[in-house]
Amino acid sequence: MSGYLRQVKAIIWKDFITELKTRELFSSMFVFALLVMLIFIFSINLSLVKANQVGPGVLWVAILFAGTLGLNRSFALEKENGCLQGLMLAPVDRSAIFFGKMLSNLIFLSIMEAFLLPVFMIFFNVEVWSHLGPLVAVLLMGTIGFSALGTLLSSLSSNLKTREIMLPILLYPLMVPVVIAAVRLTGQILDGKSLADMMNWVGLILCFDIIYIGVSIMTIDHILEE
Amino acid sequence: MTEPKPSPYSGPALQVQGLRKDFGHLEALRGIDFELKRGEFLSLFGPNGAGKTTLIRILSALTRPSSGTARVAGYDVTETDPEMRREIGVIAHDSFLYADLSSLENIRFYAALYGIEGAEERAVEVIDEVGLKSRMHDRVRTFSRGMLQRLSIARAIVHNPSILFLDEPYTGLDQHASEILKEQLQALHTERRTILMTTHDFTRGLEMCDRVAIMVRGKLALWQTVDHIDPAGFEKLYLEKVEQAGRG
Repeated sequence: MSGYLRQVKAIIWKDFITELKTRELFSSMFVFALLVMLIFIFSINLSLVKANQVGPGVLWVAILFAGTLGLNRSFALEKENGCLQGLMLAPVDRSAIFFGKMLSNLIFLSIMEAFLLPVFMIFFNVEVWSHLGPLVAVLLMGTIGFSALGTLLSSLSSNLKTREIMLPILLYPLMVPVVIAAVRLTGQILDGKSLADMMNWVGLILCFDIIYIGVSIMTIDHILEE
Repeated sequence: MTEPKPSPYSGPALQVQGLRKDFGHLEALRGIDFELKRGEFLSLFGPNGAGKTTLIRILSALTRPSSGTARVAGYDVTETDPEMRREIGVIAHDSFLYADLSSLENIRFYAALYGIEGAEERAVEVIDEVGLKSRMHDRVRTFSRGMLQRLSIARAIVHNPSILFLDEPYTGLDQHASEILKEQLQALHTERRTILMTTHDFTRGLEMCDRVAIMVRGKLALWQTVDHIDPAGFEKLYLEKVEQAGRG
C-alpha cells in the first residue's frame, strides 16, 4: 500500500475508533434525523399527497440536517488538544487529510442512511426493496458530494468561533444543485423509473461531486495553513 | 532513548537569517539570526509575547515567515518538504493527542502517519521509554498533566527525529512531574539530536543546555554559551536585558 493510502487509512481508522468509543456522532445524527422525519410525518397529510412526491424531500432534508451535526464535529475533533497541528507536523499531504476526513464522514453518513432508510419506508409506507440498487446509488452519489463539500467547509469554519452557525450558512446554498438532483432522482426511482431514464440528473449530481472534490483538493492546502 | 540515525547532512541543524514575522501591525519577530550545530541544546528565555512560540511555529513549518530565511536540517521551512517533517519533533502547549483514544492508539496513529514499519511495536517501545507502558490502554482523557506531557514526548519522538522543539514543556507540571520530564529530556539530548527549548524556568533551562538565548520583543537580546553564564546571576541579567529591550 502506498504511503498516501496508508495515511488516508490511518485517519479513517482513528475517526472510526474514536466514534466506536464515544458513540457521540452516530447517535446524535440518527436521533436528529429521526426527529426531523417524525415532525414531517405529523405535518403532512399523506391522504392528500403522494408519499413518493414528498417523501424524497423529507428524506434528504433529514440527511442534510443530521449530517451537518456530524460535519460540525468532524474538524472540531481535530481542534481539541491542537490535534490538527499534530497532523500538519507529520509528513502528510494535505489532500490525504482531506480524503481521510471526507471518507470518514462518508462512512458515518452512509451508516446513518442505512438505518434511516427502513424508518423512511415505514413512516411513508413506500416500497423500496424493488428499487434498492438505484436508490443506494443515488444516496451514495448525493452523500459523496455532501461529504466532500461538508468536509471542506467544516475545515474552513473550524477556526471560527461561530462554526456551528457558519457551516450550514455556507453549506446549504452550495449544496442546492446536488440536493435538487438527489430529491428528483429519489422520487423518480420510487415511481419505478430506471436510472437510465434520468441520466441528466445523474450527470448533474456526478458533475457537482467532481467539482466539490476538485475544489477541495485545490484549496485545502491554503485552508489548513495557519 | 533511541538515537536518531546518522544523517548525510553535516551542516548546522538550524540556520536562521533575518527572520521576521508580522501579524498585521504587530511585529512578532523583528529580525532573528542564529545558527545551532547538530547535537546542541538551546534554552530560549523570554517574557510572554516575546515571539518564542512564533519562532518555533516557523521552524516547524506551521507558520510562514514574513521575510528572512530559516533552514532546518538543511531544508528551507517555506518549502514544507515532507523529509523536513521527518527530521523534527514538536512538544507544544497542546499535547496534539486525541482525548478519547488510548495512549497506544494515539502513538500508533502518529507512527502510521510517519510511515513507520511495525507502527504498533514502535508505539509500545516509545510509550515504554516514557514510562507509561502500564497505562498504554487507558484513554488519554484520564491522564494527568505530567503524564500527558510524557506521552507528548512519545508522540514527538516516535519517528526518531534529529531536532526537537520544546515550547515551555514545564508549564503546569508539579515538582515530581518536572523531575521526570527533566530526566527524559536529558536522555533525549544526544550528539545527534538538536534541541531548542523555550522556558520560563531558569534553573531547568540552564542545567540542561549548551547555549542560552534571551528573546525580547521579537529580537534576540542575548546569545551565549552556557559556560559564560553565571546561574546565580542569570535572573538579574535576564531582567536587565528585558528592561533594556523595553526601553529600546
